[in-house]
Amino acid sequence: MRHWIFSCKKISLLISESMDRKLPLYRRLGIKLHLMMCYLCRRYKKQLLFIHSILQTERTIDEIDSASLSPEAREKIKKRLEQEKQ
Amino acid sequence: MTTGKGKETNPITWLEKYGDTLYRFARARVRDSFTAEDLVQETLLAAYRSRKKFSGRSTLKTWLIGILRHKIVDYYRKQKPEQGEENPDDFVYGSGNMFDAKEKWKVKPGDWGKDPENEYERKELMTMIHACLDEMPKKMSLAYTLRELQGVSTDELCELFQTRKNNCWVILYRARMLLRRCLEINWFQGPK
Repeated sequence: MRHWIFSCKKISLLISESMDRKLPLYRRLGIKLHLMMCYLCRRYKKQLLFIHSILQTERTIDEIDSASLSPEAREKIKKRLEQEKQ
Repeated sequence: MTTGKGKETNPITWLEKYGDTLYRFARARVRDSFTAEDLVQETLLAAYRSRKKFSGRSTLKTWLIGILRHKIVDYYRKQKPEQGEENPDDFVYGSGNMFDAKEKWKVKPGDWGKDPENEYERKELMTMIHACLDEMPKKMSLAYTLRELQGVSTDELCELFQTRKNNCWVILYRARMLLRRCLEINWFQGPK
């Protein structure tokens, strides 16, 4: 196997890495080329992106969720702040 | 410029107005409510102590959230687990065992079918994701949670773990591999 053709193992790392930083051009091309030929890596990529998207929605849902401080916690924090003010 | 509302310096008022917002923000990033409550308290205390530094350039709310973010990072930093406690490749579906000698897929990624459509299914899937994360080596799930749930940048993450960038990406990679496989086994294939 020639060195510029990445293996599935290498591709799996590069796909993950591409979610954390912008890869250099030759690596991006290497991924593209590999994905054209390899349905398993295509699947893998799709699945990673799917998990990522689920977690992203979780983030937004949680932030607009109706969760609120319990009255007890609120009271506790209030007391602590009043202490601090004195 | 900003008078009245914008310059409100009574922390009790902050609590009343932004307590829930802060709590929700924290709750989305740490997994138990007690920790989230503590973080809200610490944030309001810290904000009160440094109230003079609030310039009014941002809104009070964003200022408070900024402080909270730091508190969360601190919280995780204190939790930093021991180095090299577990070797991820020892895991049954660690990246070490997913490929053959020629670096081709040995355990082939399966067909996951349709994405979960409704809210209920997504919630269930989220529960499974958390269960999978609990099974992972601590450091890994921590790194992954910070990156994907808190949206911490990779740079900040490397700083937190005091590790080379290369290593950071590898940690996240291994976490993704483990999580992907865990979901495949426990969610997409059964147990029926």
